[in-house]
Amino acid sequence: MAYEYPDASVYDTLPKLLRYNAERFPNDVALREKDFGVWTEFTWADYLERVRNLALALNEAGLVKGDVFSIIGDNNVDWICAELAAQSVGAMTIGFYRDVLEDEIAYLTGYSAARMAYAEDQEQVDKFLNLGDRAGTIEKIIYSNTRGMRKFDDPRIVSFDDLVARGAEIHSASPELFDQMVDAVTGEDIAILCTTSGTTSNPKLAELPHGNFVRHTQLYLKHDPKDSTDEYVSVLPMPWIMEQVYTIGFGLNSRMKVSFPENEETAMSDMREIGPTFLLLAPRVLEQIAADMRARVMDAGPLTQWIFDKGVEMGREALDKGGKSWLADVALFSALRDRLGFANVRSAATGGAAMGPDTFKLFLAMGVPLKQLYGQTELLGAYTLQDGKEIDVDTVGVPFEGCEVKIIDADTDGVGEIITRHPNMFRGFHKNEEATKEDMKDGWMHTGDAGFFDDKGRLTVIDRVKDIAQTRTGTKFSPQYIENKLKFSPYIGEAVILGADRDYLTAIICIRFSIVSKWAEKARIPFTSYTNLSDRPEIYELIRSEIAHVNESLPDTQKIRKFLLLYKELDADDGELTRTRKVRRSVVSERYGPIIEALYGEGDRAEMNSEVTFEDGRKGNIEASMHIEKVDGAAAPEMKKAG
Amino acid sequence: MAEAQVIDSGGVNPPSGSVDTRTIGDPVLAVENIIVKFGGVTAINDVSFDVRKGEIRAIIGPNGAGKSSMLNVLNGFYKPRSGQIKFAGKTFPSMDPYYAASHGIARTFQNIALFRGMSTLDNLMTGRLLKMKSNFFWQCLYFGPAQKEELENRAHVERVIDFLEIQPIRRTPVGRLPYGLQKRVELGRALAMDPDILLLDEPMAGMNVEEKEDMSRFIMDVNEEFGTTVILIEHDMGVVMDLSDRVVVLDYGVKIADGTPDEVRANQNVIDAYLGVSHD
Repeated sequence: MAYEYPDASVYDTLPKLLRYNAERFPNDVALREKDFGVWTEFTWADYLERVRNLALALNEAGLVKGDVFSIIGDNNVDWICAELAAQSVGAMTIGFYRDVLEDEIAYLTGYSAARMAYAEDQEQVDKFLNLGDRAGTIEKIIYSNTRGMRKFDDPRIVSFDDLVARGAEIHSASPELFDQMVDAVTGEDIAILCTTSGTTSNPKLAELPHGNFVRHTQLYLKHDPKDSTDEYVSVLPMPWIMEQVYTIGFGLNSRMKVSFPENEETAMSDMREIGPTFLLLAPRVLEQIAADMRARVMDAGPLTQWIFDKGVEMGREALDKGGKSWLADVALFSALRDRLGFANVRSAATGGAAMGPDTFKLFLAMGVPLKQLYGQTELLGAYTLQDGKEIDVDTVGVPFEGCEVKIIDADTDGVGEIITRHPNMFRGFHKNEEATKEDMKDGWMHTGDAGFFDDKGRLTVIDRVKDIAQTRTGTKFSPQYIENKLKFSPYIGEAVILGADRDYLTAIICIRFSIVSKWAEKARIPFTSYTNLSDRPEIYELIRSEIAHVNESLPDTQKIRKFLLLYKELDADDGELTRTRKVRRSVVSERYGPIIEALYGEGDRAEMNSEVTFEDGRKGNIEASMHIEKVDGAAAPEMKKAG
Repeated sequence: MAEAQVIDSGGVNPPSGSVDTRTIGDPVLAVENIIVKFGGVTAINDVSFDVRKGEIRAIIGPNGAGKSSMLNVLNGFYKPRSGQIKFAGKTFPSMDPYYAASHGIARTFQNIALFRGMSTLDNLMTGRLLKMKSNFFWQCLYFGPAQKEELENRAHVERVIDFLEIQPIRRTPVGRLPYGLQKRVELGRALAMDPDILLLDEPMAGMNVEEKEDMSRFIMDVNEEFGTTVILIEHDMGVVMDLSDRVVVLDYGVKIADGTPDEVRANQNVIDAYLGVSHD
């Protein structure tokens, strides 16, 4: 019997849901956090108490309904308590990605006129302090990690624990105050200003009202039910809409337990300790896991290698026949699931970008029931989901009930722009009517994605509409589609396909250093750094054969003719990727203009001089020279196999 | 070869509102007229200096100057021929290692001296051994006072792990860790002893720039957060000059300078010792 979710018409805000759970299930575990090597549990009563005390103290400090509150830090209990506390007061919250640079904070806080901020530790507090005059409206900076904080004497800085203690005093003096505040906020009020990934420009802030958020997460839960026996480990960036939907939305609606790992590097082993029943992993994370798995197997003895290869082969074969290989499961997959922390997984989702079919099938064969989903921040995250009844590596499933999805301006193949509307979508972009009007036409959200429906009503997403390109000879192609094919090679970390208004296609490739370096060690190829490895002729040969392999599956006009190995990895700090790690094509084509010209020139070298941004914000110059390699249609001669 | 050259275009300023909250107190440790000889070699010749509570004190000097010998005198590894050591209000002709360790002096070694087959956690727990009072019998049973004690000590070690940000390697055998991390674990073991005075013998030897920056930050944090007095030997002059409050310079076993980094930098004897002068 599925758990009966709270009535969204009564409990129409997130703090009301929290209060609902704390009243009915005060002693049930709501959250867990690993600290000092031990899992600390928070019951619903603890959760509410912390949120309530912080909310009362924030309110006393001057935070009122309609204000904006920024949050930055690692995923942990304090992060979500800060969010819910601000929302209890009626404030709107903006979450920042933890590796965000000061400029972006300056832009967004200035633009939204945020009045207070939660910044977890010294590193994050520094970002606000460094803003200087640009911090403008920020009156309070709340920190929870005391380390290194004694150095600061800025009057705006206050400690989380001090505020909670102050809130407890306020509560005992006037116990009705918190309830009054929570009741004064309605489902129509904005809960979250969610940053959109902004593949093109400065991020925009989508206004997500409380009621919409609650109703939409309940709709999602109808398609993928959860209850208090479910376990979730929060590892995705907290400001991202899907992590908000799961950690906050699913957590509050279904009482799914949410656990926060100790830190980023321990996430995998912490996940294994919890054994989540539900997870969402971005395609590139899954590809990384698959690649790491292969890298480790390359390190292992011949017997282990044989078991792995054989097991994967048997699992894949069984999967193609619609079954499961019992032997492969016993010999390989059960151990792999346990190792990865997937032993208890009942439901798993992936989305945000397309994914290599081989990786997808590998996880299905492993017994991880991956379902692809599709959605946008503006539409409160996912609104299509696969039903998981058949193996389906291409589509993102059918829309949730009540969500209307249409294809407009379709070409002869039925491919056109995806537009969507549903009752719980965003209100508009915060203080940016123009952008709202651009994306919303007659109540439909124009996603900018190109896709089509198959005969079963399932949606397939191909690429961004504006990224579908045409060569000079008139061939239409989707760079992303080809890039994804390339990226399934364990040796290729990132790829950018070029060819718009050119005669043929070329590629800029970033090697996957973890794997290629291992391969090079085995093959006894000496190298020093990423840059150096990328320039080795042996590596060029390796990648050339991988590209030739991909070329075999592409029509002649879409084959990659030339490529080069970039001297550095594409990086979000350099603006080349979005924070969710999608390639920013305009930035790449601008920054690497000379390289691209060289790729279409006659010579076999490309010279480059570019600016890099270090993690501490400093800038420097890099000069590099790269070889350009031609790929002929035929597969390359077999390389000396590693190992 | 792809030649990538990084050209640094300037550093960043420290954040505004940053203040020094440390307090430097009276001398807690002093050596007076110390002489150490190995056979006919005089390793340390009549050296005196003091260390004040809460400061970072560096001992520098060219190779063979007697820096490590000095550190070994401080925690009782070597017995000086003559001279005396003042510590915790008492005067000793030489220090006893057990007395030093049990009275709050912890150290790390130039060549890492960890138990390579044991995990990070277990290595850190060895730093707590001196604090364990329950007897062998209880410890075998892991029951009663032994259990309580073990939990308390583990909690302490976990705080050190958190402080040094080595959670991901908690269960990893230290022999498998890269060099820089092993150095950090060794610092962790010294910190696990809850020391008042920390002796660091070349904590940054053989590290790359990033590892050095990390280690410098940890040393500063230990000093600032816990008020721990730090005595360190280091070859990297940039690190020494940035970190330390006062510097002692040794050359051929003789103290040739003692003062703040700026004073020492300007001292002609120091310049001669490092750059070399012609000996007639």
